[in-house]
Amino acid sequence: MSTPQALEVEDVAVYYGGVKAVDGVTFTVASGEIRGLIGPNGAGKSTVIDAITGRRKPTRGRVRLQGEDVTGLGVIERRQRGLARSFQRTSIFAEMTVGAQVELAARKVGATDWKANAHEVLRQLDLLELHGWMADELGYGQQRRLDLALALVGRPSLLLLDEPMAGLSSQESEQLAEHLQQLTSSWNVGVLLVEHDMDVVFGISDSVTVFELGQVIASGDPAEVRAHPRVRQAYLGSAA
Amino acid sequence: MSAAFQGITRPAHIAVATAAALAVGGLAAGGIGSDMLLSLLTQATIFAIFAVGVGVLLRQNGMVSFGHAAFYGLAGYVAGILIREMGWSGEGAVLAALGGVALFAFVLGFVVVRVPGIAFGMLTIAIGQSFYQGATTSRSLTGGADGLHIDWPQTLFGVSLDTLFQPHVMFMVCWTALVLCVAGLALLLSTNFGAVTEAVRDNEERARFIGIRTLLPRVLVFTLSAFVTAVAGTLSALNTGFVSPESLHWSVSGSALMMVIVGGYRRLWGPALGAMLFFLARDFLGDFAEHWLAIFGAALIFVIVFAPDGFSGALVGLWRRMRGGGKSRGAAAVQAN
Repeated sequence: MSTPQALEVEDVAVYYGGVKAVDGVTFTVASGEIRGLIGPNGAGKSTVIDAITGRRKPTRGRVRLQGEDVTGLGVIERRQRGLARSFQRTSIFAEMTVGAQVELAARKVGATDWKANAHEVLRQLDLLELHGWMADELGYGQQRRLDLALALVGRPSLLLLDEPMAGLSSQESEQLAEHLQQLTSSWNVGVLLVEHDMDVVFGISDSVTVFELGQVIASGDPAEVRAHPRVRQAYLGSAA
Repeated sequence: MSAAFQGITRPAHIAVATAAALAVGGLAAGGIGSDMLLSLLTQATIFAIFAVGVGVLLRQNGMVSFGHAAFYGLAGYVAGILIREMGWSGEGAVLAALGGVALFAFVLGFVVVRVPGIAFGMLTIAIGQSFYQGATTSRSLTGGADGLHIDWPQTLFGVSLDTLFQPHVMFMVCWTALVLCVAGLALLLSTNFGAVTEAVRDNEERARFIGIRTLLPRVLVFTLSAFVTAVAGTLSALNTGFVSPESLHWSVSGSALMMVIVGGYRRLWGPALGAMLFFLARDFLGDFAEHWLAIFGAALIFVIVFAPDGFSGALVGLWRRMRGGGKSRGAAAVQAN
């Protein structure tokens, strides 16, 4: 029997009245795989993320985590089943210390040894020395890493990252990308990465899916997608 | 734990602070010879409890209530009606008033805490004013606009009323209630519950995405807040032997909110400090100015602009600077750990 995928998105559609924000989207993310999700603004990337996390109910289609159908479940139930996410805008607890919020998150997601788990996540993301700092005192790059730490506690099986590099300097982006690659391989976590920084996406993704007007126009390994004529024309430009 | 909310400390610190606060109250009760001043301090202390109730809702849920007078007045009316109309014992009436208001707030909380921002404030005004109208018009039960006189039984929790109504005893009862309310909240909020409610207040969506069910913690904070306010309402009914519709009016809630802002809500004791300042200002300024509230209003503007953490925040800031501070909150927290 084959191992179930960390995530299976099958024929998912999200309609707002007559507007088809996402229509008939299908892809998978395997454990330990980073799948990049790219497309112009308004292509439906964030809507798909919301449908996967349970923040938005799909009009049609199924979402499976580790083979279990979670389409009818809410945000908290999906988190308990190993689905974690970061947000387009940094989403942390501004008036709590770094350590307090990561420990709280580890406890709430049901990590067996939550203290050890929180410590490990803080160490992996170079946040250990900022343990006692208030979140609103951190620099932007540190806040992005804290956001990621909150998603990573409890060792999720699937991590959805919505533009994690937004607003970071190129050096900070490189560091974060490095962290991501390390975590993905050492924790065997599946990552769905929505990102505008093409260097990052094509640099660290094992596979890439391209969206346009709510539909998948190309999917495959990075080199294959780069060479896809419709992608070159519609999104990457002829220079890509 | 959040270092921004310095009111929460470890149990040993809370125990020491509680003992010290009770000792200060005891010294004040024994040392102040003027019955009038003790009476003023008793009223201030009752309102300090009220303000702590309003403050904890703002601090833990980030919600501004203009209707907490409903819980304040309701507690007095419940106790008064149970004693007067149904012949309940004083102890039974007090416990029923506190428990009844808490239960009512718990049920109400499931509806109102879902309402965000300014709409919540408007909703609390509407609820509060409906109680005010109800008390004014239900003459047979509440005495209408004339209010309700409460004939407390001769003993309450084993203490005779003659003893209880001595100014220094009544002050000490109210002061003890205030200290226990603050200490109880500090203890509770130093637990995981405090961290959860802070997380929900800071970022409800992120809280859900780390597996927190956000409604119940908000309802429980609302209930706690109403309970503390009901303690104040019950003590007021005991102190004066009277409860009137004015105690339910939104302007009373507004005064409590002013006390919270002036004292500062980031520390649990801040609203109590604000209440004390409010009453002292009313007493002293009232001798010189007919419109003392206008002067207090100017002070309120000053605090909002120059000391957004209120007087408690300013005092703590001064204390830290005197101890050679100037460190960032994070650095201070690192040092504390």
